[in-house]
Amino acid sequence: MALVLLENVVKAYKIGDQVIRALDGINLRIDEGEFVAITGPSGSGKSTLMHLLGCLDTPTSGRMELFGRDLSSARGDTLAGVRNREIGFVFQSFNLLPKLDVVRNIELPLLYSGVPPAERRERAIEVAKSVGLGERLKNRPPQLSGGQCQRVAIARALVNRPKVVFGDEPTGNLDSHTGELVLEMFRSLSREGRTVILVTHDPDVAAVTNRVIEIKDGKVRREYAP
Amino acid sequence: MTIWILLETGLREIAAHKFRSVLSMLGIVLGVASLIATMSLTNGIERGTRAFMQQIGGLELVQVIPKEVSADKIDLANLSPGRTLLDAYALRESSPLITHISPELNQGAAISSGPLTERMQVTGAWPDHFVVARHEIAYGRFLSQLDVDRSARTVVIGVEVARRLWPAVQEKDVVGRIMTINDTPFKVVGILTRYEREEDKRMRSIVENRRESRGPSVQRASAAGRWDPFRRKNESIIIPLTTLFYEYKSGTLPEDSIDSVRLDNLQLRVGNLEYFQPALEQVRSTLNNTHRGIDDFDLQTREEWFDRMAASISATRMSGGLIAGISLIVGGIGITNIMLASITERVREIGIRMAVGARGRDIFFQILIESVSVALIGGVIGIAAGFGLINLLIVVAPGENVPFMSIDSVIISVIFAFVAGVVSGIYPALKASQLDPINALRYE
Repeated sequence: MALVLLENVVKAYKIGDQVIRALDGINLRIDEGEFVAITGPSGSGKSTLMHLLGCLDTPTSGRMELFGRDLSSARGDTLAGVRNREIGFVFQSFNLLPKLDVVRNIELPLLYSGVPPAERRERAIEVAKSVGLGERLKNRPPQLSGGQCQRVAIARALVNRPKVVFGDEPTGNLDSHTGELVLEMFRSLSREGRTVILVTHDPDVAAVTNRVIEIKDGKVRREYAP
Repeated sequence: MTIWILLETGLREIAAHKFRSVLSMLGIVLGVASLIATMSLTNGIERGTRAFMQQIGGLELVQVIPKEVSADKIDLANLSPGRTLLDAYALRESSPLITHISPELNQGAAISSGPLTERMQVTGAWPDHFVVARHEIAYGRFLSQLDVDRSARTVVIGVEVARRLWPAVQEKDVVGRIMTINDTPFKVVGILTRYEREEDKRMRSIVENRRESRGPSVQRASAAGRWDPFRRKNESIIIPLTTLFYEYKSGTLPEDSIDSVRLDNLQLRVGNLEYFQPALEQVRSTLNNTHRGIDDFDLQTREEWFDRMAASISATRMSGGLIAGISLIVGGIGITNIMLASITERVREIGIRMAVGARGRDIFFQILIESVSVALIGGVIGIAAGFGLINLLIVVAPGENVPFMSIDSVIISVIFAFVAGVVSGIYPALKASQLDPINALRYE
C-alpha cells in the first residue's frame, strides 16, 4: 500500500519578484514498511520535500496523497491532526521542551490527541523504557547527553504509534559513536515493520537504508538501493 | 486538549518565570485593590448615611411647612388659620395613608431639678411624635394618649438633659424624679436612648473601658467642638401637647378651640412608601379644606435629600471606578506587553508543539489561559491587598462610615480581572496561533 504518493508536485516560493521552485515536478511513491533515505546537497529541495511529507506545508501545485488521503490543499488543522496521529518527527537539534521532564516531553503528542492523563503517562513511560530511558524519567533535557536527548525525541515520535517516522539529519548533532546507536534504533524500528524516512546529506547515514532517493534542483535525480 | 491541561501548562509557565509574572500582575493587583478599596469606602459611606437618615426620621417623614401666599391672593391670606391643631385632627380623620401625625408646640423655658437650672426648649407633642421623630426609650415609658387627654404633668427627656440636671445620678434612676418647667413640677416618666454616631459610640466605649480601669471620674467622653447631628435630639424635653398649651400658651384647653392653636411644627409619617405620592395628595386635599383653599403651606419631604445623597455616593463611586478602571487598563496593557515578549521568547516551543500536532486553537487557548491565569492571580492578590488596605484604614483613621467589603465588590473584581486577562491575552494568543510551524521550528 502506498503511504506516500506525489504526482508532479511543485513547491514555489516568491522572493521579491523572483519565483523559486524549490520542488519542480516531483513524482514519488513510498510504500508502507519501507526504509528510505532522501539525500541531496543543501539547496536541493530535500528539506522542502520533508516539510511536505511531514505535513508541515502543502504543495503549490500537483497532487499529494499521504496515508490514503489527498492532502494537496489541506488546511492547517487537518495537517495538525495528521502530524499528531500519523507522523513522528526526530529533528537534528532534538527540539525538546527544556522546561518539561522526560515523561512530559514524550507525552506531548498525546496531549493534543485527547488521551486521558493516566493513560498518557503510562504510555510515555512505556515508550521511554523501550528506548532505554527508564532511569531518566524525571530529568529535564538540559541534564541529558545528546544521545539521551535524541532517544527522548525518538520516544516522543513513537508514543502516538505513527505510521511513519521522519528523521531530519537525526545524527547531525551527535558524535559518530552515539550516531551509530541512534541509527541502530532506526534500523530496528524498520525491522519491526515501521515506515522510516531519513533526510540526510550524509552518505553513511543513507547507507543504512534500503532505498536512497537523491534530490537535486527540485527533482528526483536518481534512486538506488545501497 | 482540555482546559485542565491548558491551565496546568499556563500555571507552570507562570511559576517558571515568577518575577516576570509578578511584574505583569502588578497593574491588575493595583487596579483590583483600588476597586475593592473604593467600593468598600462608598459602601461604608452609604451604610453610614442610611443609618443616620433612619435615625433622623427616614424617607417616610413629611413636614408641613408654612409658605408665603402669592401676591395676588395676599388679601385672602388672613382667611386661613395657618397650621393649627385642627389640621392634625383633620388629617387623622381623613388621611388614612398617613399613619402618624405629630403636631408640635415649642416653648423656651427654665427647667430645673432644684439645685441646677437650665434654659432649654420644651416641646409639646402627641404620642405619635415618638414614632415620627424615631425616638427610642431607654428607661421608663413614652407619653401616652392618657397623658395628652388629661393634660398630665409628665415629661420624657433626652439623655443629655438628664445628665445636666442630675449629673451625679444614674440615668435609669432619673425616671420618677420631679423637675420643674417654669416652676411647674413635672414627673420624669421616660429617658430616651443616647443618639450618637458610630464613631462617637466607639470612642465612648474605649474611654469607658479605660475609666473602669482607672476608677471613677467625672470626665465624660465627648466630641467637643465637633458638630453633633444628634445634639438636639439628645436635648429633647417632651411633654403632652395639651399640657404645654394649657400651662404656657393661653390657658384654654385645646379641645375648646382647636383651630386657634397655632402649631410650631407639623410632621407626618407615611405608612407605606409605595403610596407616597397618593399620601401627599390626601394631605394636600385635607389641608386645602382646613386652610380654606388658601395655598399657604408646603409639604417638605426627604426625597430630595436622599437623591442628593445617592448622587454624591454614585459620584464617589464613579471617580473611584474610573481610577480602578484606568489601573486595570494599564494592568491589562502590562500583561499584553509581557505576553508578547514571552511568546517571542517561546517561538521555538510553539513550533515544537505545532510539529507534534498542536492546532492553531490549541496554541491560542494556551496563551489566552496563561494571561487569564496571570490576571486572576493578580486579582486575588489585589482583593487581599484591598482588604488589607481597608482594614488598615479602619485602624489608622476610624471614621463614622466604617468601610466594609461586600461580596459584590469581590465578584466584580474577579470579573474585571478575568475580562482584563482575556482582552490583554487575545492579541498575543492570536499572534502565537498564527505562527508558521516551519519558521517557528527554525527560529533561534
